Amino acid sequence: MTARRIRNAAFWSACTLAFLCVAAPALSVLISVFHQALPALGWSLLLKRTNGIGIQNAILGTLVMLLGVLILAGGVGVAAGIYLAEFATGRHERLLRFFSEILAGMPAIVIGYIGYITMVVQFHWGFSLAAAVISLSILVLPYVVKTTEVALRQVPTFLREASAGLGLDSTTTVWRILIPPALPGIVSGLIVALAISTGELAPLLFTAGFSDQNPSLALVHHQVPYLTGVIFTDLALPGARAHATSAAAGAVTLILLIILIAVGRLVSRGARRATARMTI
Amino acid sequence: MIDTPAQVESRPTAPSVPAPEVPRQPRPERHPEEGTPDPVFRVKDLSFYYGPHQALRDVSIDIGAHEITAFIGPSGCGKTTFIRCLNRMNDLIPGARVEGEIDFEGRPLYGADIRAIDIRRRIGMVFQKPNPFPKSIYDNIALTPRRNGVKKSELDGLVEESLRRASLWDEVKDKLQQSAFSLSGGQQQRLCIARAIAVRPDVILMDEPCSALDPVATFRIEELMAELKGDYTIVIVTHNMQQAARVSDRTAFFTVDVSDQGRVGVLVEIGETSNIFTSPEDQRTEDYITGRFG
Ligand SMILES: Nc1ncnc2c1ncn2[C@@H]1O[C@H](COP(=O)(O)OP(=O)(O)O)[C@@H](O)[C@H]1O
Ligand SMILES: [Mg+2]
Repeated sequence: MTARRIRNAAFWSACTLAFLCVAAPALSVLISVFHQALPALGWSLLLKRTNGIGIQNAILGTLVMLLGVLILAGGVGVAAGIYLAEFATGRHERLLRFFSEILAGMPAIVIGYIGYITMVVQFHWGFSLAAAVISLSILVLPYVVKTTEVALRQVPTFLREASAGLGLDSTTTVWRILIPPALPGIVSGLIVALAISTGELAPLLFTAGFSDQNPSLALVHHQVPYLTGVIFTDLALPGARAHATSAAAGAVTLILLIILIAVGRLVSRGARRATARMTI
Repeated sequence: MIDTPAQVESRPTAPSVPAPEVPRQPRPERHPEEGTPDPVFRVKDLSFYYGPHQALRDVSIDIGAHEITAFIGPSGCGKTTFIRCLNRMNDLIPGARVEGEIDFEGRPLYGADIRAIDIRRRIGMVFQKPNPFPKSIYDNIALTPRRNGVKKSELDGLVEESLRRASLWDEVKDKLQQSAFSLSGGQQQRLCIARAIAVRPDVILMDEPCSALDPVATFRIEELMAELKGDYTIVIVTHNMQQAARVSDRTAFFTVDVSDQGRVGVLVEIGETSNIFTSPEDQRTEDYITGRFG
């Protein structure tokens, strides 16, 4: 009896400790970032650029890059995920999985460096939107591929059989029958990819450059400002002003992340509802 | 006669309402002693392999037009495997292999110039567990015809006609936009039959269509089969011998042949349902239907 009580107590203390280990750092980061950002917080942050006392250009730059990642990593990753889940067999499947795993294990800084050597230098694109978006996309591609594949594999086989039994071709089967129930899962994968892209610095250091101007949509020869770049450079600058700007950029990054996570939550709740409806 | 793929695509769709009551082919005169005069399927020495494992050996069967043919036999004897050979569903299984011949309306079903998806449009399938799409009742039926090029203006009529034929219309006509999963199991299965009918097949294959249903729902599906047989050739797998006796014109008995080579499904005999159940030729059939085996 007492032995069980002790075991119980030990278990719950371990749980509490684990919870604190997760919650405390997250909370302390949030609090300290917003505390340090306080002097810089204000509308000017959104209205002025980094040559003044704002970070408008960096926010816009990050958003443009996210759009690029959504199109590139989203397009390629979802296509590869569909291929892996529904069509690939034998050698093609093994090869694709192998490369996807290599990419997943590749350090972000290495991806940035390779992007620098090839795109920035070799292709003469310079620091540019294209180089930045491609580097980020390579970084998040494995997530998109994996979540798409898993979401499709969770769609019950009886739907594939029903579709095949009606003589529907495989394109229709994938787009009309399998993708709709898998969509919430695919979308939450894309959101994770965007969240990673928002917070990453390493692949952009060598590829995006920076600019005090607002980003243009030009793909090459124009440097792109971005939030994590502001955090990084302004922290190294002397002066309270710069440090506050750095913290403000950090705060905006966190807000963007929280928005993305919230959207992801909503979407995966939708996913659970959809699968619940499907089990008869 | 199987249309070439190009012709199948451009096959004009028949007017949708009212339902054509006349069968597309004249009903063949049936002479029981002659077997099946004008078979839709002519299967000769069919063997089937899942990779190295042989599931069926030397099955030869004729399946007549506008008849209900029932497959019975103990579980694992290859009934599902066989019925899935008839619409090339087994093409989807990696490593599966068919030997022997199946002629469908006089042409080789597995011929090099024949596409499986064209075959499956002409030979519909109803599965063991109702498997509606996670869509509205309307879209479950309309999706395939829409993809096959049926005009938008004809879709409503086609949906109604198909639901009427599956005797489901009166139950769902006021909630066509509701999810198919809001229906009961029996209604879902009739929806799946309506979905198959909407493609205008010649043959409907049913693999234990009532095994997940209660007796009342089962009875309605059996009634429905009797109505549908005027327009379609029906093949049904069932583990329920009374069902085979009630609904089918001819019955084929399969069993598992156990030998040194392993367990493989074989056809024991096929004949008029009344004969199979009263005076089977083979001792194994008799043992099975009298409950001494299986
Ligand atoms: N996809 C498959 N892969 C390998 N073996 C299979 C597969 N489907 C069925 N089998 C085997 O083939 C034999 C016949 O199965 P099946 O056709 O499902 O029999 P029945 O429908 O008469 O119960 C069984 O031994 C079964 O284990
Ligand atoms: Mg079976």
